[in-house]
Amino acid sequence: MFSRGARWRVGAPAVAVGVVLALGACAGQGTSGSSEGDGATAGGTTTLTFWHGMTGPDGPAVQQVIDAFNASQDEIKVEAEPMPWDVLYQKVLTSVSTPNGPDIIAMSSSNVPQYAGKGALATTDDFYASSTYMDTSPIADTAIGASVFQGANYGVPFNISTMMLYWNKDLFAAAGLDPEVPPATWDEFEAMAEKLTIDENGDGKPEQYAIAMADSATIPTYQPLLWNNGGGVVNAEGTTSIVDSPESIEALEYWVSLLRDKKVSPIGLAGADADKLFQTEKAAMEIVGPWMTTGFEEAGIDFGLARPFAGPTGQDTLADVVSLTLNANVTDAEKDAAYTFFAYWNSVEGQTTWANGSGFPALRTDIPAADLTNKYSSIFGSAELLDNSQVYLAGVPNAGTITDSIFYPALQRVLNGDGTVPEVFGQASKDIQAAIDKG
Amino acid sequence: MSYVPAPTLRRLDHRRSVSARRSRTAWFFLAPSLITLALFMVWPMVQSLYFSFTDYNRIQAARWVGLDNYAELLGDSNVWNALGNTALYTAVVTPVTVALALAAALYLNNAMAFRGFTRTALFLPFVVSLGIIGIAFSFLMDPNIGLVSHWLSKIGIVSEQGFLSDPKLAMGTVMVVGVWKNVGFYMVMYLAGLQSIPEELHEASRLDGANTFQRFRNVTWPLLSNQTMLICILAATASLQAFDQIFVMTHGGPYFKTETLVMLIYRSGFSELRLGYGAAISWVLMLLVFALSMIQVGYFRKKAVTY
Repeated sequence: MFSRGARWRVGAPAVAVGVVLALGACAGQGTSGSSEGDGATAGGTTTLTFWHGMTGPDGPAVQQVIDAFNASQDEIKVEAEPMPWDVLYQKVLTSVSTPNGPDIIAMSSSNVPQYAGKGALATTDDFYASSTYMDTSPIADTAIGASVFQGANYGVPFNISTMMLYWNKDLFAAAGLDPEVPPATWDEFEAMAEKLTIDENGDGKPEQYAIAMADSATIPTYQPLLWNNGGGVVNAEGTTSIVDSPESIEALEYWVSLLRDKKVSPIGLAGADADKLFQTEKAAMEIVGPWMTTGFEEAGIDFGLARPFAGPTGQDTLADVVSLTLNANVTDAEKDAAYTFFAYWNSVEGQTTWANGSGFPALRTDIPAADLTNKYSSIFGSAELLDNSQVYLAGVPNAGTITDSIFYPALQRVLNGDGTVPEVFGQASKDIQAAIDKG
Repeated sequence: MSYVPAPTLRRLDHRRSVSARRSRTAWFFLAPSLITLALFMVWPMVQSLYFSFTDYNRIQAARWVGLDNYAELLGDSNVWNALGNTALYTAVVTPVTVALALAAALYLNNAMAFRGFTRTALFLPFVVSLGIIGIAFSFLMDPNIGLVSHWLSKIGIVSEQGFLSDPKLAMGTVMVVGVWKNVGFYMVMYLAGLQSIPEELHEASRLDGANTFQRFRNVTWPLLSNQTMLICILAATASLQAFDQIFVMTHGGPYFKTETLVMLIYRSGFSELRLGYGAAISWVLMLLVFALSMIQVGYFRKKAVTY
């Protein structure tokens, strides 16, 4: 009954399929090639492709400024291609060196070193060197400095957003708390959290949480807690890991215990989950940026906004800076056209349109308050908030690896009780230092 | 010099030209597949082998680093973790999928009501993208709005943080999805095998007094050997390459508990821009798949049957 031929008839194709499928996983490197960028110059018009990730309620405001810029002159045409941020970062890598790649790429300042260090981006130092395009002095220094990597600037500010504490007034009132008074310190937070975390059916899983804190795929939520206890992830120069300093460990131990023992927030949330919990009134507080105001208003949430509660040594909040960067392959003519657009974006006219349309703070400090008709723009852009904010991992090489592959996994580990804070973050600190040193 | 009569030579020539023409025709028909394979499979493979010896990052020109990537991955705890997760996933998902596929095929080979519908229902997940399935399951398993979580909570199974972010349950959850997706396809292969078994063999064993289990044990199971080999190899290969639903559902988390080798290849290559290193890991995976498949072929070759 055995047939020598038969086994290969079945076996060989199966092995071939297996081998071929295995390689499917790593296919797609393609060939690298230099490119001139795709900014086509035809009939005197330079067309620039602009990728950004403002796909939320803030998207139309971006387009409004671009349309106004395109209408204001006929030499340059900016064509925006909005896409979700995660898609954008995935596509940037495979497209910067191809002829169809974008000319202008918006990216969070913490991602700039990763691409700049590999030569994917052009420096923008000449934009700031003279006032050919604009006088950059009215632009917030924090926003300009965020895209500096190894002494060179690789971006021009696209937007800045500060994180604020959103609290649900109805849930505060229902818990017997003053709906107009959010917690101002960690201690106050802890006291209020006890009333706001509610397990109605006693199954150990609260139906309502005091706060929604994300530990993956999120705007940094835990990192400012470290700052406000005198610690942090890296030192101010961005050269040394301090995530295992006594101050950082103390802050982490305090918050991990609040989550594990007092269940103030669910564990294992991604940023979008945290937003959803606040939006569905299953969490009474969330610390997030101005982009959520529209969604929460549409959900009918009666919320207040305040500076996030102070820690033992400070009350800094996160400032997230998104920069406009240039594909390293742009021609001089395209660079000139892009700078003209950058200057328009950061002009009084451009920033007024942007701030009013999005509720984000204006990047310029010289816009008269009366012109800012969107109340959120002035709230999130208040001097008190901006002066007490920090940009996370600006100019630090491998910032993405540090956050997503080291910090968050370590945090999830301790939140799940798989190791103590000192041992897990002791190792994380070594890994972070290695990532910084690798450049 | 021996004399060859002219007619014989002509016949030989004629035969040769026929066979040449035939093989030309065969190559002609094979060409589209061969060209596609060469362009989209073989060439990327060759390239990835080359990249695995470089520090290629897609932006800068590749620099030759010799065996550095391979030396690094031997000491990389991420690789060992991913290897362990992949081995666990394969060790559980492959046998469970094959067993369920066989059980479903045996059951649905009998005459019964709604047979066509049930077969289709089981096969359907196979034609749906695993990414879409992952998204759907993420919703179903959501701790706050998920239907499955809600039902499970009714019978006392409560996952406080959700199945996908609980380090103890995340791997099991993505395994369930991996099994559910492929059972139908292997079931169809088994059904084809079952229907190709000559009825007279069953009849003869019945006449010999064999009961249902004995008939399965001594007739059906041995005669399904060819299918079992193919299915085991395909299922093991697919398991070793688990990616889609993990990427969508857990992204390898919580803290790398569900990070398989392909997830790690993706993270190294596309998140950390280390395509050379990712290519080296993918060659390790390739060798694993090849070795495992060879072992399976070696094992099943003794059981291969013709009838």
